[in-house]
Amino acid sequence: MTQSVDMSVTLAGLRLRSPVLTASGTFASGREFADFIDLERLGAVVTKGVSLEPWEGNRGPRIAETASGMLNSIGLQNPGVEAFCATDLVWLAEIEVPVIVNVSGHSADEYAAVIERLEREPGISAYEINISCPNVDAGGMAFGTACAPAERVTRACRSATSRPLIVKLSPNVTNITEIARAVESAGADAVSLINTLLGMAIDARTFRPRLARIVGGLSGPAVKPVALRMVWQVANAVDVPVIGMGGIADAEDAVEFMLAGATAVSVGTANFVDPTSAIRITDGLAEFCRARSIPRVAELTGALRT
Amino acid sequence: MGGCACSHHAVSPALERVTVVANEQVATGVGLVVFEAPRTAAEVLPGQFVHIRIAEGTSFILRRPFSVHRVRGGRIEILYQVVGVGTRALAEAGPGTVMDLVGPLGHGWEIPEGAAHALLVAGGLGAAPLGMLAEELARRGVAVTVAAGAPSEKRLLARELFEEVARRVELATDDGSCGTTGLVTGVCESLLDDEALDVVYTCGPEPMQRIVAAQAAAAGISCQVSLERLMACGIGACLSCVVPTTDGLMRACVDGPVFDAASVVWESAERVPEHSS
Repeated sequence: MTQSVDMSVTLAGLRLRSPVLTASGTFASGREFADFIDLERLGAVVTKGVSLEPWEGNRGPRIAETASGMLNSIGLQNPGVEAFCATDLVWLAEIEVPVIVNVSGHSADEYAAVIERLEREPGISAYEINISCPNVDAGGMAFGTACAPAERVTRACRSATSRPLIVKLSPNVTNITEIARAVESAGADAVSLINTLLGMAIDARTFRPRLARIVGGLSGPAVKPVALRMVWQVANAVDVPVIGMGGIADAEDAVEFMLAGATAVSVGTANFVDPTSAIRITDGLAEFCRARSIPRVAELTGALRT
Repeated sequence: MGGCACSHHAVSPALERVTVVANEQVATGVGLVVFEAPRTAAEVLPGQFVHIRIAEGTSFILRRPFSVHRVRGGRIEILYQVVGVGTRALAEAGPGTVMDLVGPLGHGWEIPEGAAHALLVAGGLGAAPLGMLAEELARRGVAVTVAAGAPSEKRLLARELFEEVARRVELATDDGSCGTTGLVTGVCESLLDDEALDVVYTCGPEPMQRIVAAQAAAAGISCQVSLERLMACGIGACLSCVVPTTDGLMRACVDGPVFDAASVVWESAERVPEHSS
């Protein structure tokens, strides 16, 4: 009864000790969470998006709470790749955890330039290419909502590295499987989904939008059914592994994403609600398997009975 | 502990299960909730805040940040205004209700070495983070003058606490039901003329804090402000709560909520976020 569950998964050639990762933008580079959890128990830390130059982000208010979720329009505020290498990567080097660096840019060349700079750094396990941020004007989601630009960015990044390349997909599209196939054909080793859903909140009393940028990205439990559907569709459409995310708040949510076809899962907004979420979900996932005599968590992937 | 609050280093935040001991309305739309919270009570510094998960499994998911008003033994006291779904749920939490908080969080008030006389300027609920500070200043023998304003006498907060520890308390109400008729900034202006002050602390609506900061600057006295922003994580990760400063964007949750007023790049009034949580 107390037999241990093999929690390891293989993703794009990486052997991860757990299928539970952190979603980019909800975990910084992990430092803020070290007071609450043992980062070394995570499958990987997926960092906040990094761009070539420092980005200021959007003006505030940058968030608005909505029913069972929240909107954000942070706008990828980050200090740029040089500062990232000098601070976050140095800090992460002391932690025994795979690091997946999330990469942003205004153009395919800029994405590739960020990767070229990061190639000089040891201690990076993979890149996650963000072609799905709804909160920046140039780049971001514009690359992720049509096949041609998605392919172009993926190709540019692919030619800049032999490290595993994960492409993060936008749900703000008519058919997400087309984009998934496009980035797979352009050399992606894995896809992650979903990024936030473009949304809006209005304050009826003031007649004003709740976000300064008017629109923003919806996340949290409210988006989970949409995310599950898209993970299931994409997992059935591509051969590369899928990292599933969108509203995961407890272990059963994580199980559901794996049943839908995800090899690994990311915890995002739940990190804000409970800074121990990722580890609580990891423990719960192991317990879920143990209680059902499932020896390897990887067996959950795609095990949906239809 | 040294002679300056900044030498008493803030401890790492932690999750703490806390229990409501009392929860009562103390003014129109304002409640005072007392939590049994031994770890936070032992560690919190004046001006710091706690991030409370008011309810689990409801339609609102985020924690709510509240500054700690006062500490009594193993208990913390929080003044809150009922403005939305979260604070409404807090108002309904009776004694015995268990919640969890993350705290203590943020950079609190600093007491400059050698300060002998401080002016505290409170606007409405801005009295909340100034309570602990007034007590700490008095404990250290710093003379305290308080200027507190509210729409009416019934909405003046922490009056007893201020009258107990301050050498001088000047009140202002919009309707003239108590003290000077008008804004607390008017009272502040005359106190800056009247008293020999070393430092000004203020909290309240942001336009008010901005005026107080300008008045203090004109008088050549250093000023600290406590800024409120919508925030998600409270621990520095999400970048929701940034404040423009002369050193770039700072996070209200970890670099603030207390800032040196001289470093704040004030945003125009219409950009001050509406709080409705």
